[in-house]
Amino acid sequence: MSKRELRLGNVRVLPKDLFPDFVKGLALFGKVYAPVVRPDGAHVFSPVERVADIDMAHPRTMLSPKKYLFPPETEMYQFSPEKGYFDPPVDTAKTVLLGVHPCDINGMLILDEVFRRYYVEPRYFARRQSLAVIGSSCEPDDKCFCKSMHSEYVDKGFDLFLTDIGDAHFVRMGTSIGDDIVAANPAVFRPVEDEDVRAYKHAENCRAQAYKAQVELDSLPQILELEYDSRVWKEAGDKCLSCGTCSSVCPTCYCYDLFDRLNLDVASGARVRRWDSCLFREHALVAGGHNFRDGRDSRMKNRYFHKQVGFVSEFGRPSCVGCGRCIEACPANISIIEMIKSLREEVKV
Amino acid sequence: MAKPRVGIFGLTSCAGDQLVVVNLEDELLDIVGAIDLRSFIMAASHPVEDEFDVALVEGSVVTGEDEERVKDIRAKSKLLGAIGTCAVWGGIPGALNHVGRNTLYQAVYGTEEDLFKAREARPLRDVVKVDFSLSGCPVEKHQLVQALLSLLHGDLPSFPTVPVCQDCRFKENVCLLKTKGQLCLGPVTAGGCLARCPSHNIGCEGCHGPLDEVNFAAEAALLEEKGLPRERIARVVRNFAHQADLARIM
Repeated sequence: MSKRELRLGNVRVLPKDLFPDFVKGLALFGKVYAPVVRPDGAHVFSPVERVADIDMAHPRTMLSPKKYLFPPETEMYQFSPEKGYFDPPVDTAKTVLLGVHPCDINGMLILDEVFRRYYVEPRYFARRQSLAVIGSSCEPDDKCFCKSMHSEYVDKGFDLFLTDIGDAHFVRMGTSIGDDIVAANPAVFRPVEDEDVRAYKHAENCRAQAYKAQVELDSLPQILELEYDSRVWKEAGDKCLSCGTCSSVCPTCYCYDLFDRLNLDVASGARVRRWDSCLFREHALVAGGHNFRDGRDSRMKNRYFHKQVGFVSEFGRPSCVGCGRCIEACPANISIIEMIKSLREEVKV
Repeated sequence: MAKPRVGIFGLTSCAGDQLVVVNLEDELLDIVGAIDLRSFIMAASHPVEDEFDVALVEGSVVTGEDEERVKDIRAKSKLLGAIGTCAVWGGIPGALNHVGRNTLYQAVYGTEEDLFKAREARPLRDVVKVDFSLSGCPVEKHQLVQALLSLLHGDLPSFPTVPVCQDCRFKENVCLLKTKGQLCLGPVTAGGCLARCPSHNIGCEGCHGPLDEVNFAAEAALLEEKGLPRERIARVVRNFAHQADLARIM
């Protein structure tokens, strides 16, 4: 074994013409889900039926892989007079998520922290442990500001990471599962040559230069506090439709609502957890009819404060990963980039 | 424990919500078996109308007869639920409330004579106390079943109050409003329909009626920006929830 092979032991090259074989080989590690292009042009994570449907260079999927770990609606537990409270089955079938961008991998790492911080959420981690994550590089568009949120790169949270270097993918192995995938498919990978390393560096440099959108993170929590009463919130509240779209498409929003669904015997049923949004009026409605955040402006403010202030003091980073989904999806065209820019302007007195 | 005495009634409406009850094929026998269904003229003759634990009333209050009827039902019932958008918001019978009954009489019957003591279509809550509401045109089967089961369990029915948009996002639908500039009332309309129309590329027409708090002004401004005339927007909003329209948009 040469020195280079030893030094670069955890990287390989996957020529693009062998990509279909690579995807086929993944079946050994679980059912493969990847970003596919639907006939209506939308990119969604879906089971892969044809390799040709996969679009690794998608700008962003409609929903993030959050939907596999923390589905929009799940049963927390079931209950019946005979059995008391009991766990519904959790789908832990082996799953390979292929084509996850760094922002979304960072999103999953944030959810990991949230779901084990005080209480371990067993259903989440049962799903998490059944996932193999194969990351992929991306081309930032005008809504990507992951770099501002320090989420543009990953050095954990993936089993393999594929970076596009032209006619091949530069493959980083992140875990022993990644190593197993490579070992199980020796024919599709080749060792890294000097030229590949140069191409990888070049690709990374080009990507770093490609960012158009930016959010300045420095002292942002303090600025938000200083601008607590700013007109910016009021104006955004007037535009906001309270549709909750930003929360649904966000890879790190994790608020949920709980309600019971009864069976026909009116004695058994399930407690259901459903994604909620702090933009919904009832999110902060409590007994007696009091609402802590009755105005849309205060709900909007709450979302920003949670992600950019509260989360920073508790977890040491914002819970925003800069994926740009909320900007792309907001029907009222509210943009976090513009919001933060406006708030920063307010402190310039 | 005695089975709860239930009555299902219709005022001015198409009877579509009552039909949903009859169409609960998989659940109907369980539900009817658990209740004492005393009055449901769509399904059974010889109604007994003394007292009800629960009355489900569809339709809006349009005629003098409607008003008397719903007051009578109220007086006989411990709980009264409004089922369907007509009962909750006035619904389609109110779509032309702003035109005035005399004009409508003239157009339909060729006379301005007050044939039915008709007034503007009103939701039940304008006339009697309503204990719970279940909107929809017609009501959603799955919500109706859960509502009935909640009542059997001794609770008032309650559902997440979220807009249609949430189910569109869950289904990863392309946003018709944002992406295609279509007239879609999803953001201002109560969900529960699992985004039925937008999932088929048809903009939401608001058949469930609005949520308690909605930003009609912003929705209307957005639609106007996309080139939709204000009158058309108002017409669609009026179709199912004239009240909301009057209070919030015009």
